[in-house]
Amino acid sequence: MSEHDYSQLGAYALGALDPVESREVDEHLATCAECRAELAELEEMKEFLGEVPPEAFLDGPPDDGDLLLQRTLREVRETPARKSRWKPWLLAAAAVVVVAGVLGGGVLIGRQTVEQADAPVPGSKVVTAADATTGATMTTTVEPREGWAWIKVQITGLKPGDECVMLVTDKAGKTWTAGSWLISDKAAHDGSRFGGGVLVPPDQVKSVEIKTVQGKHVVTTTV
Amino acid sequence: MMATPATEYFLGWAPAIVPTVSANQGPDAAETFVRALYAEHGRSVLAYATRLTGDRAAAEDVVQETLVRAWKHADDLDQSKGSVRGWLLTVARNLVTDRARARAARPVEVADVVDRPPVERDHSEAVVNTMVVLGALDQVSPEHREVLVELYYRGRSVAEAAKELGVPPGTVKSRTYYALRAVRAVLAGHNGEVAR
Ligand SMILES: [Zn+2]
Repeated sequence: MSEHDYSQLGAYALGALDPVESREVDEHLATCAECRAELAELEEMKEFLGEVPPEAFLDGPPDDGDLLLQRTLREVRETPARKSRWKPWLLAAAAVVVVAGVLGGGVLIGRQTVEQADAPVPGSKVVTAADATTGATMTTTVEPREGWAWIKVQITGLKPGDECVMLVTDKAGKTWTAGSWLISDKAAHDGSRFGGGVLVPPDQVKSVEIKTVQGKHVVTTTV
Repeated sequence: MMATPATEYFLGWAPAIVPTVSANQGPDAAETFVRALYAEHGRSVLAYATRLTGDRAAAEDVVQETLVRAWKHADDLDQSKGSVRGWLLTVARNLVTDRARARAARPVEVADVVDRPPVERDHSEAVVNTMVVLGALDQVSPEHREVLVELYYRGRSVAEAAKELGVPPGTVKSRTYYALRAVRAVLAGHNGEVAR
């Protein structure tokens, strides 16, 4: 490999080339900073793949596991499901930290994201609606992602202590929960911002509704 | 309006994808929920726990406890397949670790300790790591996912993977490269360009 050949580098990073090919890549890398930089990024991804054990790619039920299923069912019938409002959000927040760290910029990337978050990404749709009954006004931004959508809302007219849920309805009529959060005094006064992702193609997002956790309608925007 | 607390702020990359599953109430819902998880993920979680513990009986206890916890957290778990499995695998791993630690610390009280697993809150970050990666692998194309599974997770060479997948070795190599780029792009929340 005397010229740049990125296509070898993926398999090289994963240690899957044969010894001869691998030597050729070594020789090229010794002389090429560009390919070394590319390789460093691929190796970063390899480390990330290491978070997942190989057993993650087995499907189906265990062999000979019926007794296990039966005793698990016995235990679970006596266990109430715990209602949790906060955990999904905490998980999402932690996920961002992890991803930012892995992509190499750490805190810097995280901060840039927050600063840039006001500028909608290209292809976003922005809609505003007010609800005369509840007095809430919401601006909704649907940001395209690869096959899914990131929904940002900014809402005024909420009460401190309101526990809100964001529900996204797609054009097929299915409703998805995109997260839940609590309105602080400050957010009630200044406006509350929230965001959540749904596995709905951006052009299939039909409407975004905010409800309280108790089920009361707050405001809806139709996209 | 500007200084919004971090927890309330939207986060552009959060891959939490959360379809609503109808109310998880009552013994029937519990049974349906656990049966579904077991049918889809049971083999994966049990195989993993068996490798970690080196003991099928201990591994079954871990799987049982993992599924019970999943039920307790059913509301949080309404997510994409990759993430659910990532959650289950990580909880299983942490249970194994906790049990090993408990055994090492208090050998005499093993039985008591095993009956009272520690509170769940400590593992959230690791849960996210595995969830995030599996979620990303769910979002890249099947061809991309497949070469990564063969080369990385099954430790196959390019030649072996080519035979297994029925494509030329050159295709395996270039797919591997683009697969790694695709994972990176998904994690960055972009199609192409990612932050360096
Ligand atoms: Zn080069």
